[in-house]
Amino acid sequence: MTKHSDTGSIFRSQKFTDFPTVTEALSAGRIGAAFILAPLAMQLAEAGIPIRIVYLGHRDGTAIVVRKDSDIRDFGDLSGKIVAIPSRFANQNILIHKMMKTWNMPEGSIELREVPPPEHPTALQEGSIDGYIVGEPFAAKAEVDGFGRVLYYTKDIWPEFISCVLVVREDLIDGNREIVQELVEGIAKSGKWLDEEHEHRMDAAEVAGKYYYFQDPELLKFVLSKPVDRVKYTHLAPLKDDFDEIMELAVEMGILRGPIAFEEYVDDSFVKPLDQIDWGIDRLPAAVAADGARAGASR
Amino acid sequence: MKRTVILGALLWTLLITAAHVHLNVGWDRLAAQARVFFGMDREELIVGFLPVT
Repeated sequence: MTKHSDTGSIFRSQKFTDFPTVTEALSAGRIGAAFILAPLAMQLAEAGIPIRIVYLGHRDGTAIVVRKDSDIRDFGDLSGKIVAIPSRFANQNILIHKMMKTWNMPEGSIELREVPPPEHPTALQEGSIDGYIVGEPFAAKAEVDGFGRVLYYTKDIWPEFISCVLVVREDLIDGNREIVQELVEGIAKSGKWLDEEHEHRMDAAEVAGKYYYFQDPELLKFVLSKPVDRVKYTHLAPLKDDFDEIMELAVEMGILRGPIAFEEYVDDSFVKPLDQIDWGIDRLPAAVAADGARAGASR
Repeated sequence: MKRTVILGALLWTLLITAAHVHLNVGWDRLAAQARVFFGMDREELIVGFLPVT
């Protein structure tokens, strides 16, 4: 499955720091697949970039965060405030507009500012924004560092929220369905494994933090456990109703030029029922080794 | 005469194939694909991501 296993294809992850660069790499064919924002994927498909959404990255995993000492207690209190969003093409932007409609707040009553996700916590701490909405672990970062407070988790205001989706180039789907199937099944298996046991999530935080995200594993452990349903890795099949709702809101907001049919940008033929797949491993060897090293050092 | 035509056609095909690989495919990519095809290497796919959920 990966360079750390003995069988299957090798999937190399390439880290990017912003969405325009990852989009450009995908369009140029330098990478075959990527995790990108759901509305951005729709917008690319609308613009004729040959990609398809084949799976979701996760469900929920986003929060609206304000300063711990602020007097903002509900969504209405954000009126007249500055709130950072990760991108105009993020579902987080769509969620804020959806909430404004629910709260009968006129358009423009919240000043939305596009800020790269890693800079959200610092901007809040410095006081250049009053709040932010972003995917983890940057929502938890302000909480863990002691200056931020979660106003809402997406699980409570838009359950089963979709943020990032897995997109694959159409030429890869046409020319090598097997490798796309292997990738989707790998993500499904690891997601099922993650949601099975608390210990699995802790192992994943250790490994992802050290070797992939280059972030503090303790921060990721917080994200994956406090509360445990803060982010979910099952129910990752792309569903028409979910995407139609996002698409309609995106059209209303002018993110998309017009309606786009689900079938034009999604290929869900790689999805298998979760009971038909199993990763077949318990703990992650690298995390177990790290546990052993820590135990040895404390002796 | 017949032999010259066949040889010429073969050479032309080889030349066009080589030009196509050079311009459109790339020798490194072709070599990598050949290694995968003959079971000397495992297939590889690069997946882009941002360190945010």
